[in-house]
This record gives sequence, structure tokens and C-alpha cells, in this order.
Amino acid sequence: MSIALKEEKKPRLYRVKKRGFKRTPGDIVFNILNYTFFISFTLICIFPFYYLFINTISDNELVRTGQINFIPRGIHFNNYLMLSNVNDLGTSALVSVARTVIGTAFMVFASAFVGYLVTKKEMWGRKFVYRFMIVTMYFNAGLIPWYLNMSMLGLTNTFWAYVIPGIVAPFNIILVKTYIESIPAELEESAFIDGAGHFTIFRKIIWPLSKPILATIAVFGAVGHWNNFVDSMILMSNKPQLYTLQYRLYIYLQTSNNLAELMRGGKISEAALNAALNARTVKLTVAMITILPIILVYPFMSRYFEKGIMIGAIKG
Amino acid sequence: MNSNKQEKTGLLMILLRAAVVILIILMAVPQVNPARMSELINKNSALLTTALSRTSLLGDFSRPLKRGWVAGGTLDLLYIAALLTALSIAATGAGWCMSLGEKRLKKLGAKIVTIASASGILALLLMIPVYISFISSGYVNRLDPMFPPGFFVFIGAFLICFVLGLINYIKLPRPAENEGYEMKPKYKLFLMILPFVILCFAFAYLPLWGWRYALFDYKPGRELTWDRFVGLKWFTFLFQNPATRADIARVLRNTLVMSGLGLAFSWLPMAFAIFLAEIRSSKVSRVVQTCTTIPNFISWVLVYSFAFALFSTEGFVNSLLINMGIIKEGVNYLMSGEHIWLKMWAWGTWKGLGWSAIIYIAGISGIDIQLYEAATIDGAGRFKRMWYITVPGLLPTFFVLLLLSVAGILSNGMEQYFVFKNSANKQTIEVLDLYVYILGLGSGGSGNIPLATAVGMMKSLISITLLFAANWASKLIRGESIV
Repeated sequence: MSIALKEEKKPRLYRVKKRGFKRTPGDIVFNILNYTFFISFTLICIFPFYYLFINTISDNELVRTGQINFIPRGIHFNNYLMLSNVNDLGTSALVSVARTVIGTAFMVFASAFVGYLVTKKEMWGRKFVYRFMIVTMYFNAGLIPWYLNMSMLGLTNTFWAYVIPGIVAPFNIILVKTYIESIPAELEESAFIDGAGHFTIFRKIIWPLSKPILATIAVFGAVGHWNNFVDSMILMSNKPQLYTLQYRLYIYLQTSNNLAELMRGGKISEAALNAALNARTVKLTVAMITILPIILVYPFMSRYFEKGIMIGAIKG
Repeated sequence: MNSNKQEKTGLLMILLRAAVVILIILMAVPQVNPARMSELINKNSALLTTALSRTSLLGDFSRPLKRGWVAGGTLDLLYIAALLTALSIAATGAGWCMSLGEKRLKKLGAKIVTIASASGILALLLMIPVYISFISSGYVNRLDPMFPPGFFVFIGAFLICFVLGLINYIKLPRPAENEGYEMKPKYKLFLMILPFVILCFAFAYLPLWGWRYALFDYKPGRELTWDRFVGLKWFTFLFQNPATRADIARVLRNTLVMSGLGLAFSWLPMAFAIFLAEIRSSKVSRVVQTCTTIPNFISWVLVYSFAFALFSTEGFVNSLLINMGIIKEGVNYLMSGEHIWLKMWAWGTWKGLGWSAIIYIAGISGIDIQLYEAATIDGAGRFKRMWYITVPGLLPTFFVLLLLSVAGILSNGMEQYFVFKNSANKQTIEVLDLYVYILGLGSGGSGNIPLATAVGMMKSLISITLLFAANWASKLIRGESIV
């Protein structure tokens, strides 16, 4: 199946036309129910973001007594300013940003280059090489062998454990390959006749022309890198300074949960209770910081997101 | 002109290439590390690892160094020798690549392999003084010197490469003066993709080698030796030991129920898309689509932080109920073990519904609009059109996704369940993936790695069988494969 990816066609939805048929009372009831459902589901989807946000900017005392539910009051940004006091947060943020940027850059380059190379019919053993990489999408040795392998390769407790395993991403290679195949072959041939080598063709023709698909896989890769916390947890057991922001947030959330558990049993003093409750705002603020990049990037990237799932669905 | 004189690669060349490949592979095998001159050096480090990082070679020498049992220079020599050996092997690798070229490049490749093998032997010989200084230091029982068998393996491998390289170099015809260093495009392309193939091998195929742990009595930090080979003991243990059997039954039940809930509601995204298409205002549907997709892009940790903000003791729900006077004391909903399966399904739906609907929305836009118009003329109402045109149009997509989720019935992933797990809901939240993690790695180094590997192995095998079955079913019914 080949798909014309270059046409930025907006999906045209079938819509009920106003003219041409009469609206019955049943239709009106249906419309009301339909709108009610979608509007409430939308609200449910975005309310947690909003609730988290207003709780981090409202007066902490009001938050503590549970008075901030829908409307922010006593707005201040001290919680964000105080984050610099939270240990290790800066390093974790740095690690997260670094792995996202470096990991995504490597992955995008590798996918583009491999995707280009596997379209070259004259390559020795091309079919085998391509299948060798693609088939890895469908099996998985499991978590423990993966961990043992990483430690055998000496990657545990190093930053590169975040980056190197993700460089060859079979699914992205398929996407890029499909895309490159849709680029007219004449472009390449004429460059080849003019004496350009494979690297030059890749740099001057393939890379610029496949930017739309590369942007798509870059967005997906970056989100995946930013959100991953399991590799931090499993591979960095001896290097807390390499924890990512997500895993740090998880640790914070867990400690506060344990405090809450202790409080229920009445084994904790009033002071500790207050500290724990203040810790709650801190935790929410850290969560807000962790979400922020996604929310900021989302409006610009949503078209790539959507394109991603569509080409993912009709891969060929 | 040259085409009819197509030269065949000689047997000697093939032997040389094979020898170099074996040499390179040996570099990654811990058992034959030639630099392991002392028992203090980690037995699980291969030459490659020890050459790349000094601490992996000499990390355990800090005490002997401090006490003065061994001179710093000796250790430096050992590291340098290991590094030079590895570099020589890398150079033979470069020679290997060149040997794929045309005459002149091929000859150069053979030359480089020859020289690199010789330098590799010299680098290895540098290790002998280290060994001698270890045994003559007077602290023999502290330094535990040993002469690694890998040393001879590498000497032998280098010698073979040297001899083969030399013979090839001599036998290859002298290239013409005006000939450049050339390589056929097919080999050039192959060499360009080779690094990525190796990466793919190292991170997708090599872990399969870890399945052997399921056949051994292994504890972290110990060595895998043949006397710890236990055959299928862990597999039988899994089913004979009442405790693990009960665990497996419980975990399987959780897994199947939660996957089953997902399957039972797998029509939801389709319904979502169909009803969204009935919304007339394109602005509203745009906003709905955007807002309902966002949750898919946040991690499960963040989803948990939402759950924490909304449902913990001081959370939104409790403060709302207390303010309204319905309850007096806050309840931590996250700490209850009730309805966990439904709650997990609900969070999964919250996160994924809008996203999964996109593919169906795309599907609806692909349905020919004339079908609808024709149906309208024939008097079909709104619901009739939805049922008789839209739904059949989307069914193929639905079917493929359903088959794929049947194939993935054992793989719920562990992230969601891991973040929501606590002491109260542990019994009902543990799915297979999470169980494997907790069994093997979750208890701070005292996990049962062989048993966890055995469970994971069976899961992988069942999953791949299910995938094949799903593919077969798809071929049978639709005449199209899905993988």
C-alpha cells in the first residue's frame, strides 16, 4: 500500500447537511445528548491539567484546607520559585532534556539514513538486512533478559543507556522507507549522474525532502524519551544523579503516599503532617513542570501526532 | 570489458574475513578476556568492556593500590595493553571492511589485517610483565593472579589472522599504478548500514541469549557455570510449588480480566469517532479532538500524579465532598483495593480513547460521500446511515486492531500498574509484566532472576504464537496479513 504523504489533506468528515432532510425531535434529542457527552468527556480530559495548575498557583493555606477546587485564589508563583530548593530536580531535568534531545537526534538520523539505504536495490543482502531489523518489532526477549543484556554490555548506570538502545527504531525505519519510496527516483538518478555519492544524495536530496516524516518521528521519539521512566528505574540503580524527571516525580509521589499511609495510622506528629501537606503542593508543582513541555509543544505538534497514527495504521 | 572476467572471491579471502569476524566476536565474550590477569577483575567483563572503561578493568584494585601491594604503573600497563589489543582488533575490522573493495583496496585491507594482527600480538605480550609482577609481588594471595585461557585464544586468533592476511597480501595481484581505491556500490551500501545492523543485533537479538539464565541456578553476581545447570527445573518449579502456582494463577487472572475489559470495550473508539462525526460544528469537533488526545501524550507517572491530586485524602473529590457536607473524613481512594480492574480500565480509557479514535476518524473521512447521499435519497435516516454505511466502512480497521489486541492479551505493559500499585491493591493489580519485574528485579537485588526469566520466556513464546494465530486468522478471513 502506498500513501501520498506529501499532500497535507485535512480529513474531510462526513457531516450532516442542514438542508436536504428534516430534523425530527429524535434528532434534536440525539444532538443534545451527543454534545453533552462530548463536552463532558472533553472537560474530564482537561480538568486534571487545570486542577493541578490552579493548585500550584493558589494560596498554599487555601490549598491545604481544600478550598481550591475550581477557581484559583490568592495567586502566587512561589511554589515554582521554591523548586530550586528541591534537591536533584535540576540535574534530573537536565538529564531528561539531554536524553530527549540527544536520543531523538540520533534516532531520527539513524531512521532517515537506514530508511534511505534500504531503498537502494543494489545493496548486498538488502532484503535480509531489512527483514533482520523489521522483524524485531514482533518479538521481545522480555524484561529480565533485556536488563541482563544491558548490564552485560556495560550500559547500566551510564547516560548512554538512555540513548543507544533506541537508535535503531524499526517502525520509524518503515515509515521513512515508505516515504522515500514516494519521492520521484529521477531526482536521485540525475544527482547520481552528476557525480553525487550516496552521502551527498542523502544530505542534499533525501534529508530535505523527507522533512515532514522526520518531523513526525522526531515528535513521537521525543515524547517517548521524555515520558520514559522504567529505564531510569531499572538501569540506573546506582546512579541517582542520572534519574530522569519522570522517575524523580514518581519517587516524590511515592514518599508522599507513604506519609499519607502513616498519617492514617496516626503514627506521625502534627508538624510532620503539615510538612507532608506542604510537600503535596511541591509534588504537584513538580508534576506541573514535568507536564509543561508536552503542553507547550502540543498545539504546534498535534498535526504531526495525528499524521503519525494514520501512517502508522496504513503502513505497507 | 571487465565484466566477463568477473573474479571470484578466493577461499583464502573468505577464510581471512571469517577469522577477523571471529576475532571481533571474541572481543565481546567475557569468558575469554585476555586481560583478566587476576581474580579481582570482574569475570563478567569482556575485553571490549575492559578496554572501553578503565574502572571496569581496575575498579576492584583500589584496596591493593592503597596498600601498596601493586604499583600503579603495573595496572596502567595492563589497561594500556588491553586498550591496544582492542584497538588492533578494531583495525583488523577496518581491514575487513576494505577487503570488500576492488583490487587495490582489497590488497590494502589484507595488509592492514596483517599489520594489525601483529600489533595485537605485541599488545598481548605487554600483559605478560603484568602477570609476572603480580606473581612476584609477594602478595600473591591478595592479588589472586591467574593466567587467563583467553590469552592463548587471542594469541591464536591473531596468529591465524596474521598468517591468512600475509598469504592474501602476497597472493593478491599487484594493482595497476593508475588504479584508485575503489569498492563496488553494493558493498559500500552494505558497509554503511552495517553499524545499524550491529546495533539492532545488540539490543534486539542479543537479549535472547539471556534466556539461558532460565536454565541455570543463578544469583546476581555469581558466575554461570555448567555445574549450576538445572535444566527445566524453574519451569517445573513454577507449576509444582504451590506458592508460585497460586501467584501465577492470580497474576494471570488479573492480566486476562484487564485485557478482557479492554477487548470488551474495544468498540468504544469506533463509537467515539462515529458520534463525533455527527457533531455539526467543525470547531467543536476540532476542540474535542485536540483535548481528548492530550492525555495520550503524558506518561503514566503524570497520570498517577493526577490521580493523586484528585483522589488522595486531600484531593479534589474528598475536599469537594467534605465542603458539601456529605462526608466528614477524607478517604484515600488510591489506597483501596476495590474495583481495581474497573479503575485501571477507566484510567486507560481516559488516557487512550481520544487517541485511538483518530484512526477511525480518518477512516470515516475515507468513506465515499456519495454513499451517504445515495442513502439519503433512498430515505435512510441518520441512524440508518451510521449503522449501514459508517459502521461497515470501519469494520475492517476495527477487525485488524481487535486481532492485534487479542495477540497482545498477555502484554498489558507494566507502567500503569506499577505506578498505581500499593500495599492495598497489590493482589488485584499485578499483571504478568509487573509480576516478572517484581519477581526478578523489584526486591532490591535479591530477586529470583532465573524464575522471572522463565516466566518472561513463556510469556514471549505464547505472545508470538498468538500473533501468528491472529495473522493466520486475518489471512483466512480477509485474505490480508496484519503483520
